[in-house]
Amino acid sequence: MRWVAGLKVSVHAKLLAGFLIVTLFFIGMGVMSLQTIATMSSQGQLLDDAHERVHWSQEIQHALALQMNFTAMALLLRNEATVESILRENNRFSNTLARLEKAAQAEEIQLIQRIRAAQGEALTTVADIANLVRDGKIEDAMRLQLSKEYPIYLQIEGLVNQLVKHERDKMDRLRSSVAAANRKTLLLLASSAVVLILLALLLGFVISWSFILPVQEAHGFLGQVAKGNFAATISVPNRDEFGVLAERMNQMSRELHRLDESQRRGSEELKRLNEQLLRASKAKSEFLANMSHELRTPMNAILGFVEMLLDDIYGEIPPQFKEPLTDIQVNGKHLLNLINDVLDLSKIEAGRMELAVSEYSVQDIVDTLKASLHSLSREKGLEFVAVAQADIPLACGDGKRITQCLTNLAGNALKFTREGRVEVRVERQGDMLLYRVSDTGIGIPKDQIENVFAEFRQVDATITREFGGTGLGLSITKKFVEMHGGRIWVESEPGKGSTFFFEIPLRVDGGKPA
Amino acid sequence: MSGKTILYVEDNEFNLKIVRQLLSRTSYRLIEATDGEMGVATALSELPDLILMDIQLPKLSGLDATRTLRADPKTAAIPIIVITSFALSGDEQKAKDAGASAYLSKPYSPRELLQMIRKLVPEN
Repeated sequence: MRWVAGLKVSVHAKLLAGFLIVTLFFIGMGVMSLQTIATMSSQGQLLDDAHERVHWSQEIQHALALQMNFTAMALLLRNEATVESILRENNRFSNTLARLEKAAQAEEIQLIQRIRAAQGEALTTVADIANLVRDGKIEDAMRLQLSKEYPIYLQIEGLVNQLVKHERDKMDRLRSSVAAANRKTLLLLASSAVVLILLALLLGFVISWSFILPVQEAHGFLGQVAKGNFAATISVPNRDEFGVLAERMNQMSRELHRLDESQRRGSEELKRLNEQLLRASKAKSEFLANMSHELRTPMNAILGFVEMLLDDIYGEIPPQFKEPLTDIQVNGKHLLNLINDVLDLSKIEAGRMELAVSEYSVQDIVDTLKASLHSLSREKGLEFVAVAQADIPLACGDGKRITQCLTNLAGNALKFTREGRVEVRVERQGDMLLYRVSDTGIGIPKDQIENVFAEFRQVDATITREFGGTGLGLSITKKFVEMHGGRIWVESEPGKGSTFFFEIPLRVDGGKPA
Repeated sequence: MSGKTILYVEDNEFNLKIVRQLLSRTSYRLIEATDGEMGVATALSELPDLILMDIQLPKLSGLDATRTLRADPKTAAIPIIVITSFALSGDEQKAKDAGASAYLSKPYSPRELLQMIRKLVPEN
């Protein structure tokens, strides 16, 4: 099998060679059969000949017997016709003997010649006897016949019998040799058939297994590759198409191995870079958190001194100083809000923001909201409504952060609305609280709705100039809502207004309402 | 007449100045300390009527100083207002846990601070 596999011959040639070998053997068997048939037919011919010769020798026997008979009859009847009969039988005897002699072997020829000589002598004696009969010397004729002719005839008869036996023996020998040859041929044919079948089976087995083995190897190899073992190799003894295929598979495996290695290295590099990035991002957030703290201390001083100036702690200030001092105060507070937002966001990003979960009243949140936004809505001449459903039980969560979220949304709504109303509604829906802030403001274009909760995003830069704001409020709100296990979304139609929704669990501790 | 004594523990000169000037027009007497250890020492020696404690201080943090004073029977009853620059939910709780009587986050309004002081220790 391995030897066949290792032959540097194509699969095509191997199959052809296998079939050709079987076919040649088959043709050989056919030729052998034809030869046997020819031999048998020639042996039949020989047998026929032998048979004929036996027949002839028997005819000679017969002619001799009749000859003897007619000689005896001639002595009794003494007529010419009987003598003629003797001669006729003698002719028959001689003719048949001549036929037999034509295809005779040496020893037979010798026998035949002896018969012929004896027959010649017998014929001479018969002629003498016939002359004696014709002369009327019957007594002499009978004596001659008894003393001379009869012994010759006995001698001839013995020779003829010998000849008959000889021919018969020859025929018997021939017959048994033909039978033996037939048996031998039959045996040869049968064993050739068996050998041919075995050879066909052997060739089929060897050639097919020389194909099956590499296919099995390939099956195992591909299984390994499919499992991700790209270092696997396939080894087959074949130097035919399967050998070429196996070499291609090894090439593929090497290439896969190489790709896998480089991909692995790439992914490790990526992981390392990612860790670096995470560390850098965390460092940045911590830096921002610290910076925000450092910024607050001077802010405290600035706002403190301004407030004390405006409160006349340093004595009454001239009226023309009031406006610039108020401007300093408003801008200082705005700057403080920015710092607060940055601080919140960087704390959230650094993973250091924690919720202070306790029980709170939704109505308190709404009241705080109304108090803090009352003056802004009045300044802008907007209708501002904030209502909580009456029967909401005590909720659980970080009330301060939820107030911050609602203030961010409602503050934005007031900022982006020039006329109309801003409405805040809170309702309970099963275990959830739904906060809804709707306005009749400028709305948000459809393609920007996705972006509104991203950090430092506003719908466009001109709006920032017109309406102010850090762009951090919405992303902070979203983070706090998510920290409460809730979700936030917006529905808006540009020019008509927007509605922001957020939904948080009534109780974030998962407990039952008190 | 001798006014009530207020100890302000703070390391920032301008914030000290604000409170100094804020209280200059009142009857309160201000004493100052610029780090946590000094704050604790001054409180124990002077026994003020009220302590304003910044949360971020050199040497000893405001929270630790508050805990130390609360643990000492001489100062255990003195009201302490903790002032922090972290306007975060957790800090209020930490200040309360340390024993603060009240909590004020920076930047505070001087007006509100004065109101809070007057509520805890009326001027007279």
